[in-house]
Amino acid sequence: MTRFIFTLLNGLTLAGLYFLVASGLTLIFGLMRVINLAHGAFYLLAGYISWNVVDKTDNWFLGVLLGALSLGIFGTLVYLILLRKFQYEELRVALITLGVSLILAQGMLAVFGGEYYQTSIPENLSQSIPIPGIEISYPLFRILVLFLAIIVAIGLWLFITRTRYGAIIRAGVDDTAMVSALGINVQAVFIWIFFLGSVLIGFAGSIGATTNSFGMGTDGDYLLFSLQVVIIGGLGSIGGVAIGSFLVGVIGQFAVGYYPTLSGVITFAMLVLILAFRPQGILGKIR
Amino acid sequence: MTKVRSTYLLLLAMAIAFPYLVPDPDFWVSSGGSRALWLGVTALSMSFLNRNLGLMSLGQLFFSGISGYIVAISSVTYGVKFGTSVPLAILAGTLSGVVIGFIALKTKGVYFLMLTLAVTLGLYSFANSAQEITRGHTGINSIPSPVIFGIDFAYTKPMYYLFLLIAITIFTFCKFLESTSFGIALKGVRDNEDRMTAMGYRILPLKMIAFVFSALIASIAGVMGAFYVTNISPDSVGLIRSIDLLVIVVVGGATYLGGAFVGAALIVVFEAIVQDFTQYYVAATGALFIIVLMLAPQGLMGISAQFRRARAKKLGAAK
Repeated sequence: MTRFIFTLLNGLTLAGLYFLVASGLTLIFGLMRVINLAHGAFYLLAGYISWNVVDKTDNWFLGVLLGALSLGIFGTLVYLILLRKFQYEELRVALITLGVSLILAQGMLAVFGGEYYQTSIPENLSQSIPIPGIEISYPLFRILVLFLAIIVAIGLWLFITRTRYGAIIRAGVDDTAMVSALGINVQAVFIWIFFLGSVLIGFAGSIGATTNSFGMGTDGDYLLFSLQVVIIGGLGSIGGVAIGSFLVGVIGQFAVGYYPTLSGVITFAMLVLILAFRPQGILGKIR
Repeated sequence: MTKVRSTYLLLLAMAIAFPYLVPDPDFWVSSGGSRALWLGVTALSMSFLNRNLGLMSLGQLFFSGISGYIVAISSVTYGVKFGTSVPLAILAGTLSGVVIGFIALKTKGVYFLMLTLAVTLGLYSFANSAQEITRGHTGINSIPSPVIFGIDFAYTKPMYYLFLLIAITIFTFCKFLESTSFGIALKGVRDNEDRMTAMGYRILPLKMIAFVFSALIASIAGVMGAFYVTNISPDSVGLIRSIDLLVIVVVGGATYLGGAFVGAALIVVFEAIVQDFTQYYVAATGALFIIVLMLAPQGLMGISAQFRRARAKKLGAAK
């Protein structure tokens, strides 16, 4: 029983992290039809930046802030220089971002080396809290990550469906020409979306660098996780990402905990099974 | 047609004479020729799909990886002979194409790209975690090379000519397949699925056959890779390798069958030259890839057509 609850908690908190990782990907795709396959590399870059800031300044919050902001700026630059011109050619944009991830992967290896790092948890958050009903206690920080993911999820959903800016964004995607005619600068809106999506992945990378160790190859791992999440949940929907992260996180952790050798196969089998019945993902729309 | 055919014959003659023409044959025949042929066949499996179904697949390394791992495990761990291990590996790789095709062919465009990338990365994480089977991160080393009729294919020239034979056979068969009514039906599916359905074609079986055929090519390439590299590890199916393959296909020209080999040869030479200047040749390859995508998305094979179109447009505008 203890093992079960422990695995479940691991799965849930990991699901929270996956949600943070994949939400930026799905936000940008859902609103702009741009798929950023350098997502894993962005995640890793944010991890390195925040680790270094925390290492130098001993201020964890500053590290997360700078990790998120610098990725926001970097992502926006990538969009402006490389992607904007081809925004309506989905496949070409996706391929260009793969090229970006190739350059980033080797660039990061050259700058930061092949070792693995993990940012230390701020001291006032580093204790464990007892879980009622069982004999073990669980790291407070991981539970906070789960709550953070839930807050971000609700915040994003409210922003997109309930605010004026959200309405402009949705309209701008559906009918760019009409929204421009209403006097709204759609190009600027797109830049802000890309900035926001990149901030989200930078934020996720900084948080993830604290909960899990990272280094060479982490970019591929997290690209895989976020692809699994959005493929299972349905690309472009926040709710889909929530469901996808829950499934990938929890089932993945049970697989790792109980059948370590087969863990990759189990997650994969789940993906195959879901796609066999819903090719567009659980909450995805058919286009 | 005769012009195209004579070009092919000239290229073929050059490929056959290649080991006797290049300077420093010890390096260039193996690290240049055989490597380009192996990568070219892998890339061909991708170009074939893109050209005939309009689908860009990053799953080809999955099939290569399955067959490569089976050759490695059966011959190193269990001491199985090549006569058994190679057909077994190719069969397994091809059959895995049926499973992947079953889910992936329901999607299109960028979804297909993502799904096939996830499939390949899934094999990477499996190969990393299933240590009892795959020996984890170190992988399986010193895969013995085949000896057929007393010829040891570990030697540079026998391996090169074997690879050349395989590449020519597969390339010719692809060309032949495209000229059959099946190949023409495939192009119809690529261009307009609805119309083909209306004409009474069953779309999914057509796509499935093409996809499984590309998995067969990739599986053969996987065996070639196992013998050429003599080891296989998770990195053989990792993210960087997948993108490398994509670079070859796009730089050569993703809508041309020959583009796979043009791209492979170009990348092999490019890496060999850049390696002399900097150790960051992967990043240089990435930069080359982005430049090609931005300026000449049809790749090297498509450059002349692109210029022709641009000139026609200019002339049209002038009138």
